[in-house]
Amino acid sequence: MTTQSATAVHFGGVVKSYGAVRAVNGAELTIGRGETVALLGRNGAGKSTTISLLLGLNEPDAGEVRIFGRTPQRAVREGLVGAMLQDGQPIPRVTVRELVSFIGSMYPEPMPVAEALALAGLTEFADRRVDKLSGGQTQRVRFATALAGNPGLLLLDEPTAALDVEARRAFWESMRTYADRGNTVMFSTHYLEEADDNADRIVVIDRGRIVADGPGETIKRAAGGNLVSFDLAGTATEGLSLLPGVVAVEVHGDRARLRTDDSDATVLALVAMGAVRRLEVAPASLEDAFLSLTSHGPGATHGTGTTHQPLTAAPESETV
Amino acid sequence: MFEYIKLEMRRTLRDASFVVFGIGMPVLMYLLFTNIGGGGNGDDWKVQSMIGMAAYGALGAAMNAGTGVAADKAIGWLRQLRIAPLAPTRVVTGRAISGSVTVLPGILAVLLSGALINGVRLDAWQWIVLTLLLWIGALPFTMLGLGNGYRLSAQATGVVNVACLMGLAILGGLWFPVSAFPGWLRGIAEYTPTHRFADLGWATSQGHAPGLATVALMGAWLVAFGAYAVVSYRRSARTA
Repeated sequence: MTTQSATAVHFGGVVKSYGAVRAVNGAELTIGRGETVALLGRNGAGKSTTISLLLGLNEPDAGEVRIFGRTPQRAVREGLVGAMLQDGQPIPRVTVRELVSFIGSMYPEPMPVAEALALAGLTEFADRRVDKLSGGQTQRVRFATALAGNPGLLLLDEPTAALDVEARRAFWESMRTYADRGNTVMFSTHYLEEADDNADRIVVIDRGRIVADGPGETIKRAAGGNLVSFDLAGTATEGLSLLPGVVAVEVHGDRARLRTDDSDATVLALVAMGAVRRLEVAPASLEDAFLSLTSHGPGATHGTGTTHQPLTAAPESETV
Repeated sequence: MFEYIKLEMRRTLRDASFVVFGIGMPVLMYLLFTNIGGGGNGDDWKVQSMIGMAAYGALGAAMNAGTGVAADKAIGWLRQLRIAPLAPTRVVTGRAISGSVTVLPGILAVLLSGALINGVRLDAWQWIVLTLLLWIGALPFTMLGLGNGYRLSAQATGVVNVACLMGLAILGGLWFPVSAFPGWLRGIAEYTPTHRFADLGWATSQGHAPGLATVALMGAWLVAFGAYAVVSYRRSARTA
């Protein structure tokens, strides 16, 4: 790829609204060539809008978007970008091979069709009609069409939706193979683990804002501690928020979930109470990461994490 | 763009409903109108109706491309094309050409049934020129269908395309001869793209070249419908 710019993606103060909703709200982001970046956020956080802006499918209301120093439309026209979109359905009456070779044929330096099919795990389905495949296979077809042009920047919008565990593993392996060739990859996900396992850098977005940006370790630290859960079996819930380390308490039926920034101390205190039925200690999930990374209420600051105020009834926590 | 034309042609020819409505219907209607209705005066009507129905079949197939495009929009295929390195004008042109090529089978089917079943006799050159003119002349209608398809939802496109097709076909005298129209309607019919389209064929069957007015009017309709298609595609690009 003869693209002089060392920056693959640049977002400068980008704002995009739909009616009253600010889908992307003043995003500042620069991604270097060759980076693998995860865009982490809940549904509706602004991930898909960010990707549409990168592809020129949407125009920002304010700010500028650049890909390899060009406008998105130009970068797309020059074949520098390949993308796997979330909402497309398979097009009828075309085989996998026909579709992938057609997409590749439009790019200046496409990947050999057989290689794109192999990377996406589609070799054995090459002559099947695209609309006769299962959901997981269709997802692989989307991946193959994104790879077909051998683009310098690969954008993947929730690429592992509809994939089973085995297919996920294979998918990430292929993605890393492609990234290791010096290509820039950006994928969106709502799983912190997936982001941590497969990206060099995680950008967390919430309500259109970038609330954290850094390597997985940094994000997990900011997300704060662990989650301790156990069966209540009659234990009173009132005192739980006062236990050492506990930052938040959620109760789902008979099970209590304590978010803690010192799980050892919390577990010892629980042992002392005799409340260790089906005790589990797990790293904080994305939901919990969001509790600390995003605002706890109006006016709270972003990104710095743990407020040590017990959140017995956190507004974002779900009660089943 | 050639690859795009190839892909879209394959998709159309693999569509069973295209084969039934784009090829079977015009043949059936031609045979019914010429043999059961006892319509018009004998051989002349058989030739005229053959050309009218071949033209009608060509229109159906041409506008079918528009219905396909609307469905493509709904499933996100147009979006996929937009994020590929293919300029919008090439998308529209490529789709118009692939739509045009799939028009040919319908024309050939009606002309063949005219020759083989109704015993229509024309010179060899007339058959060839007739086929080519009807084929090329269908291009403005492909553009009209595409314009509707890029602009409207899949369902709306189906309805609007059929309405355009029937309206223009009847008004242009493809179903009943214009000579049967009242005077004021005949005046309007003269300017319809369908009438001029069929005139390409009627002129050929009478052994002379189509008039300058016909060629000029067809050109004007092509430009008008072509512009409509490009504008509609640009618009769909923003909302799809």
